[in-house]
Amino acid sequence: MAQAAIADVSERPRRLDLFGVHSGRIAYWLVLPLIALETVFVFYPIVRGILVSVEGPTGGIDFSNYATMLRDPDFFWIIVRTLVFTVLIDVIVLLVGLGIALLMNWRFPGRGFVRSLLTVPWAVPEVPVALTFLFMLDPTFGVFNLLARLLPGVTENPQWLLDPVLAMAIIVVVTVWKGFPFYSLVLLAALQTVPEELYEAARIDGAGAWAQFRHVTLPGVRASIALLAILAFIYSMQQFTLIWLITGGGPVDATTTLAPAIYLQAFRFYNFGYAGAMAVVGFIFSGLATFAFVAVQRRLAVHEA
Amino acid sequence: MNRGRAPIGLATLTGGNHAAAWATVRASVIGLVCVVLLFPIYWMVLNAIQPGAYTLRWPPYLSPQGLAWSNFAELFAEKPIAHWLAMSSFVAGIVVVATLVVVIPAAYALSRLRWRGRELLGLLLLFTQMMPGALVVAPELGLYRALGWTDNLAALAVVHAAFVVPLCTWILKTSFDAIPRDLLEAALCDGCNYWSAMLRVVLPLTRPGLVAVSVVAFFSSWNEYLFSSALITKSDLYTGSLGIATLITQLDTPIFVLMAAGVMFSVLPVAFYIAIQRHILAGITAGAVKG
Repeated sequence: MAQAAIADVSERPRRLDLFGVHSGRIAYWLVLPLIALETVFVFYPIVRGILVSVEGPTGGIDFSNYATMLRDPDFFWIIVRTLVFTVLIDVIVLLVGLGIALLMNWRFPGRGFVRSLLTVPWAVPEVPVALTFLFMLDPTFGVFNLLARLLPGVTENPQWLLDPVLAMAIIVVVTVWKGFPFYSLVLLAALQTVPEELYEAARIDGAGAWAQFRHVTLPGVRASIALLAILAFIYSMQQFTLIWLITGGGPVDATTTLAPAIYLQAFRFYNFGYAGAMAVVGFIFSGLATFAFVAVQRRLAVHEA
Repeated sequence: MNRGRAPIGLATLTGGNHAAAWATVRASVIGLVCVVLLFPIYWMVLNAIQPGAYTLRWPPYLSPQGLAWSNFAELFAEKPIAHWLAMSSFVAGIVVVATLVVVIPAAYALSRLRWRGRELLGLLLLFTQMMPGALVVAPELGLYRALGWTDNLAALAVVHAAFVVPLCTWILKTSFDAIPRDLLEAALCDGCNYWSAMLRVVLPLTRPGLVAVSVVAFFSSWNEYLFSSALITKSDLYTGSLGIATLITQLDTPIFVLMAAGVMFSVLPVAFYIAIQRHILAGITAGAVKG
Protein backbone atom coordinates (compact mmCIF):
# COMPACT_ATOMS: atom_id res chain seq x y z
CA MET A 1 0.00 0.00 0.00
CA ALA A 2 2.68 2.42 1.07
CA GLN A 3 4.84 1.33 -1.84
CA ALA A 4 2.04 1.85 -4.30
CA ALA A 5 1.58 5.36 -2.95
CA ILE A 6 5.27 6.08 -3.36
CA ALA A 7 5.28 4.67 -6.87
CA ASP A 8 2.31 6.83 -7.68
CA VAL A 9 4.05 9.92 -6.38
CA SER A 10 7.22 9.19 -8.32
CA GLU A 11 5.26 8.64 -11.47
CA ARG A 12 3.26 11.83 -11.27
CA PRO A 13 5.94 14.40 -12.04
CA ARG A 14 6.87 12.63 -15.29
CA ARG A 15 3.30 12.75 -16.51
CA LEU A 16 3.08 16.39 -15.54
CA ASP A 17 6.24 17.05 -17.51
CA LEU A 18 4.34 15.86 -20.53
CA PHE A 19 2.28 19.02 -20.10
CA GLY A 20 5.42 20.87 -19.22
CA VAL A 21 6.72 20.46 -22.77
CA HIS A 22 3.73 22.36 -24.05
CA SER A 23 3.33 24.62 -21.11
CA GLY A 24 6.69 26.40 -21.11
CA ARG A 25 6.15 28.50 -24.16
CA ILE A 26 2.42 28.23 -24.65
CA ALA A 27 1.74 29.91 -21.30
CA TYR A 28 3.17 33.20 -22.51
CA TRP A 29 0.97 33.17 -25.60
CA LEU A 30 -2.04 32.41 -23.42
CA VAL A 31 -1.50 35.38 -21.12
CA LEU A 32 -0.42 37.75 -23.87
CA PRO A 33 -3.90 39.24 -24.57
CA LEU A 34 -4.38 39.84 -20.85
CA ILE A 35 -1.01 41.52 -20.46
CA ALA A 36 -1.58 43.64 -23.58
CA LEU A 37 -5.00 44.83 -22.37
CA GLU A 38 -3.82 45.68 -18.86
CA THR A 39 -0.62 47.33 -20.08
CA VAL A 40 -2.32 49.68 -22.50
CA PHE A 41 -5.45 50.54 -20.51
CA VAL A 42 -4.29 50.31 -16.90
CA PHE A 43 -0.52 50.41 -16.48
CA TYR A 44 0.18 52.95 -19.20
CA PRO A 45 -2.37 55.44 -17.78
CA ILE A 46 -0.80 54.95 -14.34
CA VAL A 47 2.63 55.83 -15.74
CA ARG A 48 1.12 58.72 -17.67
CA GLY A 49 -0.49 60.06 -14.50
CA ILE A 50 2.80 59.84 -12.63
CA LEU A 51 4.67 61.59 -15.45
CA VAL A 52 2.12 64.42 -15.52
CA SER A 53 2.56 64.85 -11.77
CA VAL A 54 6.32 65.45 -12.09
CA GLU A 55 6.20 67.55 -15.22
CA GLY A 56 7.38 71.12 -14.67
CA PRO A 57 5.53 74.06 -16.24
CA THR A 58 8.35 74.48 -18.79
CA GLY A 59 9.16 70.79 -19.15
CA GLY A 60 11.73 68.81 -17.19
CA ILE A 61 11.23 67.03 -13.93
CA ASP A 62 9.73 69.06 -11.15
CA PHE A 63 8.40 67.93 -7.80
CA SER A 64 6.53 71.11 -6.97
CA ASN A 65 3.15 69.32 -7.11
CA TYR A 66 4.35 67.05 -4.33
CA ALA A 67 5.79 69.91 -2.34
CA THR A 68 2.48 71.79 -2.64
CA MET A 69 0.53 68.68 -1.73
CA LEU A 70 2.54 67.92 1.38
CA ARG A 71 2.22 71.52 2.61
CA ASP A 72 -1.47 71.76 1.74
CA PRO A 73 -3.68 71.54 4.87
CA ASP A 74 -6.58 70.53 2.60
CA PHE A 75 -4.63 67.48 1.50
CA PHE A 76 -3.86 66.60 5.11
CA TRP A 77 -7.58 66.67 5.91
CA ILE A 78 -8.41 64.62 2.82
CA ILE A 79 -6.10 61.89 4.09
CA VAL A 80 -7.54 62.12 7.61
CA ARG A 81 -11.07 61.92 6.21
CA THR A 82 -10.14 58.98 3.98
CA LEU A 83 -8.69 57.11 6.95
CA VAL A 84 -11.68 57.89 9.18
CA PHE A 85 -14.02 56.76 6.42
CA THR A 86 -12.12 53.53 5.65
CA VAL A 87 -11.69 52.58 9.32
CA LEU A 88 -15.36 53.25 10.10
CA ILE A 89 -16.48 51.19 7.11
CA ASP A 90 -14.03 48.43 7.94
CA VAL A 91 -15.20 48.04 11.54
CA ILE A 92 -18.93 48.49 10.90
CA VAL A 93 -19.17 46.35 7.78
CA LEU A 94 -17.29 43.48 9.44
CA LEU A 95 -19.47 43.65 12.56
CA VAL A 96 -22.68 43.77 10.52
CA GLY A 97 -21.38 41.13 8.13
CA LEU A 98 -20.43 38.78 10.96
CA GLY A 99 -23.74 39.38 12.74
CA ILE A 100 -25.76 38.53 9.63
CA ALA A 101 -23.54 35.54 8.91
CA LEU A 102 -24.20 34.20 12.43
CA LEU A 103 -27.95 34.67 11.92
CA MET A 104 -27.82 32.90 8.55
CA ASN A 105 -25.83 30.08 10.12
CA TRP A 106 -28.87 29.10 12.18
CA ARG A 107 -30.96 26.39 10.61
CA PHE A 108 -34.43 27.73 9.96
CA PRO A 109 -37.06 27.15 7.29
CA GLY A 110 -36.64 29.46 4.30
CA ARG A 111 -32.97 30.08 5.01
CA GLY A 112 -31.99 29.92 1.34
CA PHE A 113 -34.66 32.45 0.46
CA VAL A 114 -33.64 34.86 3.22
CA ARG A 115 -30.03 34.53 2.16
CA SER A 116 -30.95 35.46 -1.41
CA LEU A 117 -32.99 38.43 -0.18
CA LEU A 118 -30.07 39.73 1.84
CA THR A 119 -27.87 39.58 -1.27
CA VAL A 120 -30.02 42.15 -3.02
CA PRO A 121 -28.31 45.34 -1.71
CA TRP A 122 -25.02 44.06 -3.09
CA ALA A 123 -26.57 43.45 -6.52
CA VAL A 124 -28.38 46.76 -6.93
CA PRO A 125 -26.21 49.13 -9.00
CA GLU A 126 -24.75 52.17 -7.24
CA VAL A 127 -26.67 54.78 -9.22
CA PRO A 128 -30.15 53.57 -8.15
CA VAL A 129 -28.82 53.12 -4.59
CA ALA A 130 -27.73 56.75 -4.53
CA LEU A 131 -31.07 57.75 -6.02
CA THR A 132 -33.10 55.85 -3.43
CA PHE A 133 -31.14 57.17 -0.47
CA LEU A 134 -31.35 60.72 -1.81
CA PHE A 135 -35.11 60.30 -1.88
CA MET A 136 -35.22 58.77 1.60
CA LEU A 137 -33.16 61.72 2.90
CA ASP A 138 -35.20 64.36 1.10
CA PRO A 139 -35.93 67.15 3.63
CA THR A 140 -39.56 67.39 2.45
CA PHE A 141 -40.73 63.86 1.64
CA GLY A 142 -37.91 61.64 2.88
CA VAL A 143 -38.90 58.69 5.02
CA PHE A 144 -35.77 59.03 7.19
CA ASN A 145 -37.40 62.13 8.65
CA LEU A 146 -39.93 59.86 10.35
CA LEU A 147 -37.05 58.23 12.20
CA ALA A 148 -35.52 61.56 13.15
CA ARG A 149 -38.87 62.79 14.47
CA LEU A 150 -38.90 59.89 16.90
CA LEU A 151 -35.96 61.50 18.70
CA PRO A 152 -36.91 63.85 21.53
CA GLY A 153 -36.64 67.51 20.61
CA VAL A 154 -36.68 67.03 16.83
CA THR A 155 -39.62 68.95 15.41
CA GLU A 156 -38.22 69.89 12.01
CA ASN A 157 -37.01 67.58 9.25
CA PRO A 158 -33.22 67.66 9.41
CA GLN A 159 -31.14 68.91 6.48
CA TRP A 160 -29.37 65.56 6.32
CA LEU A 161 -26.80 66.38 3.71
CA LEU A 162 -25.98 69.93 4.82
CA ASP A 163 -24.46 68.89 8.14
CA PRO A 164 -20.81 67.74 7.84
CA VAL A 165 -21.01 64.99 10.47
CA LEU A 166 -24.44 63.74 9.38
CA ALA A 167 -23.33 63.72 5.74
CA MET A 168 -20.27 61.60 6.56
CA ALA A 169 -22.40 59.27 8.70
CA ILE A 170 -24.86 58.87 5.82
CA ILE A 171 -22.13 58.04 3.35
CA VAL A 172 -20.79 55.44 5.79
CA VAL A 173 -24.26 53.94 6.31
CA VAL A 174 -24.99 53.75 2.58
CA THR A 175 -21.59 52.22 1.80
CA VAL A 176 -21.98 49.63 4.55
CA TRP A 177 -25.52 48.85 3.44
CA LYS A 178 -24.39 48.36 -0.15
CA GLY A 179 -21.44 46.20 0.86
CA PHE A 180 -22.46 44.04 3.82
CA PRO A 181 -23.92 41.08 1.84
CA PHE A 182 -20.52 40.29 0.36
CA TYR A 183 -18.91 40.16 3.80
CA SER A 184 -21.68 38.10 5.36
CA LEU A 185 -21.70 35.59 2.50
CA VAL A 186 -17.95 35.06 2.76
CA LEU A 187 -18.13 34.82 6.55
CA LEU A 188 -21.07 32.45 6.34
CA ALA A 189 -19.03 30.16 4.10
CA ALA A 190 -16.22 30.36 6.66
CA LEU A 191 -18.59 29.61 9.56
CA GLN A 192 -19.80 26.52 7.78
CA THR A 193 -16.27 25.13 7.64
CA VAL A 194 -15.97 25.16 11.47
CA PRO A 195 -16.42 21.49 12.42
CA GLU A 196 -19.53 20.72 14.49
CA GLU A 197 -17.38 18.42 16.70
CA LEU A 198 -15.50 21.43 18.03
CA TYR A 199 -18.76 22.89 19.31
CA GLU A 200 -19.73 19.55 20.81
CA ALA A 201 -16.37 19.22 22.53
CA ALA A 202 -16.73 22.76 23.88
CA ARG A 203 -20.21 22.01 25.20
CA ILE A 204 -18.97 18.86 26.92
CA ASP A 205 -16.31 21.02 28.53
CA GLY A 206 -19.14 23.19 29.82
CA ALA A 207 -18.64 26.17 27.51
CA GLY A 208 -21.61 28.54 27.27
CA ALA A 209 -22.74 30.32 24.13
CA TRP A 210 -20.28 33.20 24.56
CA ALA A 211 -17.34 30.90 25.36
CA GLN A 212 -18.17 28.81 22.29
CA PHE A 213 -18.24 31.95 20.15
CA ARG A 214 -15.03 33.24 21.66
CA HIS A 215 -13.01 30.00 21.52
CA VAL A 216 -14.49 28.07 18.61
CA THR A 217 -16.29 30.41 16.19
CA LEU A 218 -13.89 33.35 16.22
CA PRO A 219 -10.68 31.34 15.73
CA GLY A 220 -12.45 29.51 12.90
CA VAL A 221 -13.21 32.69 10.96
CA ARG A 222 -10.26 34.82 12.03
CA ALA A 223 -8.42 34.25 8.75
CA SER A 224 -11.41 35.24 6.66
CA ILE A 225 -11.90 38.34 8.80
CA ALA A 226 -8.28 39.34 8.20
CA LEU A 227 -8.68 39.03 4.41
CA LEU A 228 -12.03 40.81 4.45
CA ALA A 229 -10.63 43.65 6.56
CA ILE A 230 -8.08 44.35 3.83
CA LEU A 231 -10.72 44.08 1.10
CA ALA A 232 -13.01 46.43 3.02
CA PHE A 233 -10.17 48.94 3.28
CA ILE A 234 -9.64 48.76 -0.49
CA TYR A 235 -13.30 48.94 -1.40
CA SER A 236 -13.88 51.95 0.80
CA MET A 237 -10.82 53.65 -0.73
CA GLN A 238 -12.35 52.95 -4.14
CA GLN A 239 -15.71 54.40 -3.20
CA PHE A 240 -16.47 57.21 -5.59
CA THR A 241 -19.91 56.87 -7.16
CA LEU A 242 -21.99 56.83 -3.99
CA ILE A 243 -20.11 59.79 -2.49
CA TRP A 244 -20.22 61.70 -5.73
CA LEU A 245 -23.91 61.24 -6.39
CA ILE A 246 -25.14 61.63 -2.80
CA THR A 247 -23.04 64.51 -1.45
CA GLY A 248 -20.73 65.47 -4.30
CA GLY A 249 -17.99 65.46 -1.65
CA GLY A 250 -19.80 68.15 0.35
CA PRO A 251 -21.05 69.94 2.36
CA VAL A 252 -17.98 72.11 1.60
CA ASP A 253 -15.66 69.08 1.50
CA ALA A 254 -16.79 67.08 4.53
CA THR A 255 -17.13 63.86 2.53
CA THR A 256 -14.26 64.43 0.08
CA THR A 257 -12.10 61.34 0.48
CA LEU A 258 -9.12 60.69 -1.77
CA ALA A 259 -11.10 59.32 -4.76
CA PRO A 260 -13.49 62.27 -5.17
CA ALA A 261 -10.67 64.68 -4.30
CA ILE A 262 -8.60 63.43 -7.25
CA TYR A 263 -11.63 63.59 -9.52
CA LEU A 264 -12.36 67.18 -8.44
CA GLN A 265 -8.74 68.28 -8.98
CA ALA A 266 -8.72 66.80 -12.48
CA PHE A 267 -12.19 67.53 -13.77
CA ARG A 268 -13.27 70.65 -11.91
CA PHE A 269 -9.99 72.50 -11.47
CA TYR A 270 -8.15 70.95 -14.46
CA ASN A 271 -5.18 70.51 -12.17
CA PHE A 272 -3.95 67.28 -13.75
CA GLY A 273 -0.47 67.46 -12.23
CA TYR A 274 -1.81 67.88 -8.72
CA ALA A 275 -4.42 65.15 -9.31
CA GLY A 276 -1.57 62.88 -10.46
CA ALA A 277 0.43 63.59 -7.30
CA MET A 278 -2.57 62.69 -5.13
CA ALA A 279 -3.10 59.56 -7.22
CA VAL A 280 0.46 58.48 -6.40
CA VAL A 281 -0.49 58.55 -2.71
CA GLY A 282 -3.46 56.36 -3.64
CA PHE A 283 -1.19 53.92 -5.51
CA ILE A 284 0.98 53.63 -2.42
CA PHE A 285 -2.07 52.85 -0.26
CA SER A 286 -3.47 50.26 -2.66
CA GLY A 287 0.00 48.76 -3.23
CA LEU A 288 0.46 48.30 0.51
CA ALA A 289 -3.00 46.77 0.79
CA THR A 290 -2.22 44.36 -2.05
CA PHE A 291 0.92 43.16 -0.29
CA ALA A 292 -0.92 42.82 3.00
CA PHE A 293 -3.57 40.73 1.23
CA VAL A 294 -0.96 38.45 -0.32
CA ALA A 295 0.91 38.14 2.99
CA VAL A 296 -2.24 37.10 4.84
CA GLN A 297 -3.10 34.63 2.12
CA ARG A 298 0.38 33.11 2.16
CA ARG A 299 0.08 32.55 5.89
CA LEU A 300 -3.29 30.90 5.37
CA ALA A 301 -1.86 28.62 2.70
CA VAL A 302 0.88 27.57 5.12
CA HIS A 303 -1.71 26.87 7.81
CA GLU A 304 -3.79 24.79 5.45
CA ALA A 305 -0.81 22.70 4.31
CA MET B 1 -29.02 23.62 17.13
CA ASN B 2 -29.13 20.17 18.60
CA ARG B 3 -29.47 20.65 22.30
CA GLY B 4 -29.33 16.92 23.06
CA ARG B 5 -32.23 14.84 24.31
CA ALA B 6 -33.89 16.07 27.47
CA PRO B 7 -34.88 13.50 30.11
CA ILE B 8 -38.49 12.35 30.15
CA GLY B 9 -41.11 14.17 32.21
CA LEU B 10 -41.29 17.78 33.25
CA ALA B 11 -37.97 18.55 31.67
CA THR B 12 -39.31 17.53 28.28
CA LEU B 13 -42.14 19.99 28.63
CA THR B 14 -40.01 22.88 29.73
CA GLY B 15 -37.41 21.88 27.18
CA GLY B 16 -40.10 21.94 24.53
CA ASN B 17 -41.31 25.35 25.67
CA HIS B 18 -37.77 26.57 25.77
CA ALA B 19 -37.15 25.41 22.23
CA ALA B 20 -40.38 26.97 21.02
CA ALA B 21 -39.56 30.26 22.73
CA TRP B 22 -36.09 30.16 21.27
CA ALA B 23 -37.47 29.53 17.77
CA THR B 24 -39.83 32.50 18.15
CA VAL B 25 -37.01 34.78 19.29
CA ARG B 26 -34.88 33.62 16.40
CA ALA B 27 -37.65 34.14 13.85
CA SER B 28 -38.36 37.63 15.14
CA VAL B 29 -34.68 38.61 15.11
CA ILE B 30 -34.30 37.39 11.53
CA GLY B 31 -37.54 39.08 10.52
CA LEU B 32 -36.53 42.38 12.08
CA VAL B 33 -33.07 42.32 10.48
CA CYS B 34 -34.60 41.60 7.07
CA VAL B 35 -37.12 44.43 7.43
CA VAL B 36 -34.44 46.96 8.39
CA LEU B 37 -31.92 45.90 5.77
CA LEU B 38 -34.34 45.52 2.90
CA PHE B 39 -36.27 48.70 3.64
CA PRO B 40 -34.46 50.83 1.00
CA ILE B 41 -35.25 48.23 -1.68
CA TYR B 42 -38.87 48.08 -0.53
CA TRP B 43 -39.06 51.85 -0.60
CA MET B 44 -37.70 52.13 -4.12
CA VAL B 45 -40.04 49.45 -5.45
CA LEU B 46 -43.05 50.75 -3.50
CA ASN B 47 -42.66 54.28 -4.80
CA ALA B 48 -42.17 53.00 -8.31
CA ILE B 49 -45.41 51.03 -8.36
CA GLN B 50 -47.81 53.18 -6.32
CA PRO B 51 -49.58 56.30 -7.62
CA GLY B 52 -47.28 59.32 -7.54
CA ALA B 53 -49.57 61.21 -5.18
CA TYR B 54 -48.56 58.91 -2.33
CA THR B 55 -44.89 59.54 -3.01
CA LEU B 56 -45.24 63.33 -2.82
CA ARG B 57 -46.86 63.35 0.56
CA TRP B 58 -45.71 64.10 4.08
CA PRO B 59 -45.79 62.11 6.30
CA PRO B 60 -45.44 59.14 3.95
CA TYR B 61 -47.52 55.98 4.28
CA LEU B 62 -45.21 53.07 5.08
CA SER B 63 -47.52 50.44 3.64
CA PRO B 64 -48.75 50.12 0.04
CA GLN B 65 -51.88 52.19 -0.59
CA GLY B 66 -52.50 51.36 -4.21
CA LEU B 67 -50.98 49.97 -7.33
CA ALA B 68 -50.35 51.87 -10.55
CA TRP B 69 -48.08 51.30 -13.52
CA SER B 70 -48.45 54.89 -14.62
CA ASN B 71 -44.96 55.77 -13.31
CA PHE B 72 -43.43 53.28 -15.72
CA ALA B 73 -45.65 54.54 -18.53
CA GLU B 74 -44.51 58.09 -17.80
CA LEU B 75 -40.88 56.96 -17.58
CA PHE B 76 -40.96 55.28 -20.99
CA ALA B 77 -42.95 58.11 -22.56
CA GLU B 78 -40.92 61.04 -21.21
CA LYS B 79 -37.39 59.68 -20.87
CA PRO B 80 -35.22 57.71 -23.30
CA ILE B 81 -34.86 54.89 -20.74
CA ALA B 82 -35.24 52.16 -23.38
CA HIS B 83 -32.45 53.75 -25.40
CA TRP B 84 -30.20 54.02 -22.33
CA LEU B 85 -30.76 50.40 -21.40
CA ALA B 86 -30.06 49.37 -24.99
CA MET B 87 -26.77 51.32 -24.88
CA SER B 88 -25.88 49.68 -21.55
CA SER B 89 -26.59 46.24 -23.03
CA PHE B 90 -24.51 47.02 -26.11
CA VAL B 91 -21.47 48.09 -24.06
CA ALA B 92 -21.87 45.24 -21.59
CA GLY B 93 -22.21 42.70 -24.41
CA ILE B 94 -18.88 43.79 -25.89
CA VAL B 95 -17.33 43.66 -22.41
CA VAL B 96 -18.47 40.04 -21.99
CA VAL B 97 -16.97 38.94 -25.31
CA ALA B 98 -13.70 40.79 -24.76
CA THR B 99 -13.42 39.50 -21.20
CA LEU B 100 -13.99 35.88 -22.18
CA VAL B 101 -11.44 36.07 -24.99
CA VAL B 102 -8.80 37.46 -22.65
CA VAL B 103 -9.68 35.55 -19.50
CA ILE B 104 -10.12 31.94 -20.66
CA PRO B 105 -6.56 31.40 -21.87
CA ALA B 106 -5.04 33.48 -19.07
CA ALA B 107 -6.94 31.70 -16.28
CA TYR B 108 -5.95 28.38 -17.77
CA ALA B 109 -2.28 29.35 -17.85
CA LEU B 110 -2.45 30.61 -14.26
CA SER B 111 -4.25 27.53 -13.02
CA ARG B 112 -2.66 24.68 -14.91
CA LEU B 113 0.70 25.60 -16.35
CA ARG B 114 4.01 26.21 -14.63
CA TRP B 115 6.01 29.10 -15.99
CA ARG B 116 8.33 31.84 -14.85
CA GLY B 117 6.57 35.09 -14.05
CA ARG B 118 3.30 33.45 -13.03
CA GLU B 119 3.45 34.83 -9.51
CA LEU B 120 4.42 38.26 -10.77
CA LEU B 121 1.45 38.34 -13.10
CA GLY B 122 -0.80 37.27 -10.24
CA LEU B 123 0.50 40.14 -8.16
CA LEU B 124 0.00 42.65 -10.98
CA LEU B 125 -3.57 41.44 -11.48
CA LEU B 126 -4.25 41.76 -7.79
CA PHE B 127 -2.81 45.27 -7.78
CA THR B 128 -5.06 46.23 -10.70
CA GLN B 129 -8.07 44.77 -8.96
CA MET B 130 -7.30 46.65 -5.77
CA MET B 131 -6.61 49.99 -7.41
CA PRO B 132 -9.34 52.63 -7.20
CA GLY B 133 -10.51 53.60 -10.68
CA ALA B 134 -10.62 57.26 -9.64
CA LEU B 135 -6.79 57.24 -9.52
CA VAL B 136 -6.47 56.67 -13.26
CA VAL B 137 -9.60 58.19 -14.71
CA ALA B 138 -7.86 61.47 -15.62
CA PRO B 139 -4.87 59.94 -17.46
CA GLU B 140 -7.25 57.41 -19.03
CA LEU B 141 -9.24 60.30 -20.46
CA GLY B 142 -5.96 61.76 -21.73
CA LEU B 143 -5.16 58.49 -23.47
CA TYR B 144 -8.64 58.26 -24.96
CA ARG B 145 -8.47 61.83 -26.25
CA ALA B 146 -5.11 61.07 -27.86
CA LEU B 147 -6.59 58.00 -29.54
CA GLY B 148 -9.76 59.88 -30.53
CA TRP B 149 -11.81 57.29 -28.63
CA THR B 150 -13.96 59.53 -26.45
CA ASP B 151 -17.73 59.38 -27.07
CA ASN B 152 -17.32 55.88 -28.43
CA LEU B 153 -19.24 53.10 -26.70
CA ALA B 154 -17.09 50.25 -28.04
CA ALA B 155 -14.01 52.04 -26.71
CA LEU B 156 -15.73 52.52 -23.36
CA ALA B 157 -16.29 48.75 -23.32
CA VAL B 158 -12.54 48.21 -23.65
CA VAL B 159 -11.75 50.13 -20.49
CA HIS B 160 -14.61 48.41 -18.67
CA ALA B 161 -13.14 45.07 -19.73
CA ALA B 162 -9.65 46.08 -18.60
CA PHE B 163 -10.95 46.79 -15.09
CA VAL B 164 -13.07 43.66 -14.70
CA VAL B 165 -10.58 41.21 -16.22
CA PRO B 166 -8.49 40.71 -13.05
CA LEU B 167 -11.48 39.62 -10.95
CA CYS B 168 -12.79 37.42 -13.77
CA THR B 169 -9.39 35.77 -14.11
CA TRP B 170 -9.51 34.75 -10.45
CA ILE B 171 -13.06 33.48 -10.71
CA LEU B 172 -12.25 31.33 -13.72
CA LYS B 173 -8.92 30.21 -12.26
CA THR B 174 -10.70 28.78 -9.21
CA SER B 175 -13.00 26.81 -11.48
CA PHE B 176 -10.04 25.46 -13.51
CA ASP B 177 -8.33 24.61 -10.21
CA ALA B 178 -11.30 22.47 -9.25
CA ILE B 179 -10.95 20.13 -12.24
CA PRO B 180 -9.05 17.01 -11.16
CA ARG B 181 -5.86 16.62 -13.13
CA ASP B 182 -6.52 12.89 -13.49
CA LEU B 183 -9.57 13.63 -15.61
CA LEU B 184 -7.54 15.47 -18.20
CA GLU B 185 -4.89 12.76 -18.13
CA ALA B 186 -7.55 10.09 -18.58
CA ALA B 187 -8.93 11.94 -21.59
CA LEU B 188 -5.43 12.17 -23.06
CA CYS B 189 -4.87 8.45 -22.47
CA ASP B 190 -8.17 7.68 -24.16
CA GLY B 191 -6.71 9.08 -27.31
CA CYS B 192 -7.96 12.62 -27.19
CA ASN B 193 -5.36 15.11 -28.24
CA TYR B 194 -4.65 18.13 -26.08
CA TRP B 195 -7.14 20.44 -27.74
CA SER B 196 -10.01 18.00 -27.98
CA ALA B 197 -9.45 17.13 -24.30
CA MET B 198 -9.78 20.85 -23.62
CA LEU B 199 -13.00 21.21 -25.56
CA ARG B 200 -14.67 18.00 -24.45
CA VAL B 201 -13.52 17.69 -20.86
CA VAL B 202 -12.25 20.93 -19.42
CA LEU B 203 -14.60 23.55 -20.91
CA PRO B 204 -17.85 21.74 -20.02
CA LEU B 205 -16.65 21.37 -16.44
CA THR B 206 -15.88 25.07 -16.18
CA ARG B 207 -19.29 26.09 -17.50
CA PRO B 208 -20.48 27.47 -14.12
CA GLY B 209 -17.28 29.50 -13.95
CA LEU B 210 -17.78 30.79 -17.49
CA VAL B 211 -21.37 31.77 -16.69
CA ALA B 212 -20.22 33.54 -13.52
CA VAL B 213 -17.50 35.42 -15.41
CA SER B 214 -19.96 36.50 -18.10
CA VAL B 215 -22.46 37.76 -15.53
CA VAL B 216 -19.79 39.63 -13.55
CA ALA B 217 -18.36 41.21 -16.70
CA PHE B 218 -21.79 42.17 -18.02
CA PHE B 219 -23.01 43.82 -14.84
CA SER B 220 -19.77 45.44 -13.79
CA SER B 221 -20.06 47.33 -17.06
CA TRP B 222 -23.82 47.84 -16.71
CA ASN B 223 -23.34 49.34 -13.22
CA GLU B 224 -20.21 51.38 -13.95
CA TYR B 225 -20.49 55.14 -13.61
CA LEU B 226 -17.06 56.79 -13.15
CA PHE B 227 -15.35 55.94 -16.45
CA SER B 228 -18.60 56.24 -18.38
CA SER B 229 -19.14 59.76 -17.11
CA ALA B 230 -15.58 60.78 -17.99
CA LEU B 231 -15.41 59.19 -21.45
CA ILE B 232 -18.97 59.78 -22.73
CA THR B 233 -20.34 63.31 -23.03
CA LYS B 234 -22.94 63.08 -25.82
CA SER B 235 -26.39 62.49 -24.36
CA ASP B 236 -27.49 60.22 -27.24
CA LEU B 237 -24.71 57.82 -26.19
CA TYR B 238 -25.75 57.75 -22.54
CA THR B 239 -25.90 54.37 -20.86
CA GLY B 240 -28.35 53.56 -18.06
CA SER B 241 -26.10 54.70 -15.23
CA LEU B 242 -25.26 58.00 -16.98
CA GLY B 243 -28.85 58.68 -17.97
CA ILE B 244 -30.28 58.02 -14.53
CA ALA B 245 -27.49 59.99 -12.85
CA THR B 246 -28.37 63.01 -15.01
CA LEU B 247 -32.03 62.67 -14.06
CA ILE B 248 -30.93 63.10 -10.43
CA THR B 249 -29.22 66.41 -11.15
CA GLN B 250 -31.77 67.81 -13.60
CA LEU B 251 -34.43 68.06 -10.86
CA ASP B 252 -37.30 68.22 -13.36
CA THR B 253 -38.13 64.52 -13.06
CA PRO B 254 -40.74 63.55 -10.45
CA ILE B 255 -39.39 61.28 -7.72
CA PHE B 256 -41.77 58.43 -8.54
CA VAL B 257 -40.52 58.37 -12.14
CA LEU B 258 -36.94 58.28 -10.83
CA MET B 259 -37.83 55.31 -8.63
CA ALA B 260 -39.35 53.54 -11.62
CA ALA B 261 -36.10 54.17 -13.52
CA GLY B 262 -34.12 52.78 -10.58
CA VAL B 263 -36.23 49.62 -10.57
CA MET B 264 -35.89 49.15 -14.34
CA PHE B 265 -32.13 49.50 -14.07
CA SER B 266 -31.78 47.14 -11.07
CA VAL B 267 -33.99 44.21 -12.04
CA LEU B 268 -31.51 42.43 -14.29
CA PRO B 269 -28.38 42.65 -12.11
CA VAL B 270 -30.31 41.60 -9.00
CA ALA B 271 -31.78 38.53 -10.68
CA PHE B 272 -28.46 37.42 -12.16
CA TYR B 273 -26.29 38.12 -9.13
CA ILE B 274 -28.55 36.10 -6.85
CA ALA B 275 -28.28 33.20 -9.27
CA ILE B 276 -24.50 33.15 -9.42
CA GLN B 277 -23.33 34.55 -6.05
CA ARG B 278 -21.72 31.31 -4.90
CA HIS B 279 -19.42 31.15 -7.91
CA ILE B 280 -18.23 34.73 -7.55
CA LEU B 281 -17.40 34.61 -3.86
CA ALA B 282 -14.77 31.91 -4.24
CA GLY B 283 -13.08 33.94 -6.97
CA ILE B 284 -13.03 37.20 -5.05
CA THR B 285 -11.47 35.73 -1.94
CA ALA B 286 -9.17 33.29 -3.74
CA GLY B 287 -7.57 36.13 -5.64
CA ALA B 288 -3.96 35.22 -5.10
CA VAL B 289 -1.56 32.78 -6.65
CA LYS B 290 -1.09 29.77 -4.46
CA GLY B 291 1.32 26.86 -4.93
